[in-house]
Amino acid sequence: MATVTLNQAEKTYPNGFKAIHGIDLAIEDGEFTVLVGPSGCGKSTLLRMIAGLESISGGEISIDGKVVNKVAPADRDIAMVFQNYALYPHMNNFDNMAYGLRNRGYSKADIESKVREAARILQLEDHLDRKPRQLSGGQRQRVAMGRAIVRQPKVFLFDEPLSNLDAKLRVDMRLEIKNLQQRLGITSVYVTHDQVEAMTLADRLIVMNGGIAEQIGTPIDIYEKPATRFVAGFIGSPAMNFLDGVISDDGKHVTVGDGGMLDIDHNIAGGRAVVAGIRPEHLSIAQTGQGMINATVRMVESLGAETLVYLDFGSKADNVTLRLQGTHNFSRNDALGLTVQADKIHLFDTESGNRL
Amino acid sequence: MYQSKWRIFTNHTILILGALFMIMPVWIAFASSTHTREFIFQNGLQFWPGGHMIDNYGAILFDPSATKGRVTALEMLFNSMVLGLGFAIGKVIISMMAAYAIVYFRFKLAVPLFWVIFSTLLLPLEVRIVPSYEVVANLGLLNTYTGLILPLIASATGTFFFRQFYRSVPDELLEAARLDGAGPIRFFIDILVPLSVTMIAAIFIIMFVVGWNQYLWPLLMTTDDQLYTIVIGIKQVYNSLYEGGQIPQFPKAFALTIMATIPPVLVVVIFQRMFIKGLVETEK
Repeated sequence: MATVTLNQAEKTYPNGFKAIHGIDLAIEDGEFTVLVGPSGCGKSTLLRMIAGLESISGGEISIDGKVVNKVAPADRDIAMVFQNYALYPHMNNFDNMAYGLRNRGYSKADIESKVREAARILQLEDHLDRKPRQLSGGQRQRVAMGRAIVRQPKVFLFDEPLSNLDAKLRVDMRLEIKNLQQRLGITSVYVTHDQVEAMTLADRLIVMNGGIAEQIGTPIDIYEKPATRFVAGFIGSPAMNFLDGVISDDGKHVTVGDGGMLDIDHNIAGGRAVVAGIRPEHLSIAQTGQGMINATVRMVESLGAETLVYLDFGSKADNVTLRLQGTHNFSRNDALGLTVQADKIHLFDTESGNRL
Repeated sequence: MYQSKWRIFTNHTILILGALFMIMPVWIAFASSTHTREFIFQNGLQFWPGGHMIDNYGAILFDPSATKGRVTALEMLFNSMVLGLGFAIGKVIISMMAAYAIVYFRFKLAVPLFWVIFSTLLLPLEVRIVPSYEVVANLGLLNTYTGLILPLIASATGTFFFRQFYRSVPDELLEAARLDGAGPIRFFIDILVPLSVTMIAAIFIIMFVVGWNQYLWPLLMTTDDQLYTIVIGIKQVYNSLYEGGQIPQFPKAFALTIMATIPPVLVVVIFQRMFIKGLVETEK
């Protein structure tokens, strides 16, 4: 159990490509931190830098207060779970879990008891004699986690561990990982591109884009107060609606598209060009004639518990998404007036994309 | 796939005829090796086995005079076995280690060095046989097993195959092993070697047969009869068939030939099984 601190950590590849542009981060003891972002944003690179599998080009990474820039992966006292499990195919599951302990010179009895204990926690006791290929995807993932927990490392690192599993299993394993982490209380860093995993697992979420940390905060903070337009668009599904607009002269409205007018609750000088962001679940259908924006239905997806309506607003096609509880009947080209509460509107600077 | 009876019949006919065509000379050599030399001399090659198999094979195996030298077939088989095994095992070990260095260690000249090794494929032993002989002679290794095997065990083919195989091993295995505290040697022995078992078997089969069939190099290297391999022995026996005005020893020459083919066949049969078993097990 330990803290992990990144101090202006940077990664530049030999070909000159800068993957990580100086990241500051302090992960507390026992905290579950999730790195999320689109492919190529540097999240895996950052994790591998903490693991020691990638060298650090600038800045410092410390584990438990000790700078580990030059420490070999095996000596950092970390364990990693890989996306494709990376189990040793020729060893049975017991040996897979025991391998790290054997290399560290644990006694036979010690290894036996530690592996049995990990197998008990992960319900793998009946599968220890088998080879990884004889197990299902979920069981393999458990063996991979078993290999991580037998060593009782200071830090767990997860590199998209659930992406190779099918949808249902992914949900089960997600809960299992969360449970396990809370029970063992081990500091964890988890990389994913799946925002549901990110939102549900994280104590603290780091949204990355283009090698920088766009925002660091609790999942709810990030959902409710996205710091940039990128974060706002990335977190939340379906994605946030973005409407280009201008602040009215009195500063109390944003005019968007062709004749749309949103009430706002901000303190911004009139005439400024902004992007208004509204989550699909915060839009509601107005009584006739009361709509702040008027849009036409293009497509409807009924999911049972909720209905997603895709609308055309102004001259643009399919640019507004509406999320309603329960089932609703709309047909194509129905005209709908939509309203939104002023405190649910996020405004971003058109140029920088920063929250206003 | 559906196949008509007629098609199965033609396919099998062609295959059986092909197999007979290949096996017939061997069979005639075997059948002829079981007659007396007088009988062969009078009646030519035989299709049916005769009654002197034990006499002929016994003589050739245990009596040096039957092979026209000072060495029995048994000793020659042993020499060939040493050469074949040393050649194959040496090649497997050297090429595995060379490929390991090339694939897993980032050193400056890795790529050019690989191509240098690879380009030696273009230079068969015969091209470098004179300098190789010179080197071995200066080292005082003529007429030794070491001199027989050592200059042959560097293998571009083997290195190439192992390189390709290692490159197909997922990087995560190496990373997982690094996190598990395995150094380069541990990783090689604990992870890579067990994963390469089928590759090792395949290369071992090929190299054993190649080593067993070496002719020119042992012929140059060994002036002492005691180190003759069976391939040289065969040549020796056939050379001396008409010497001394006696009736030619055809049956014994054939017997020696048949015996020379048995060990490579056994190696192929045994390792083929392991090879296929390994394939089936890892792919399941």
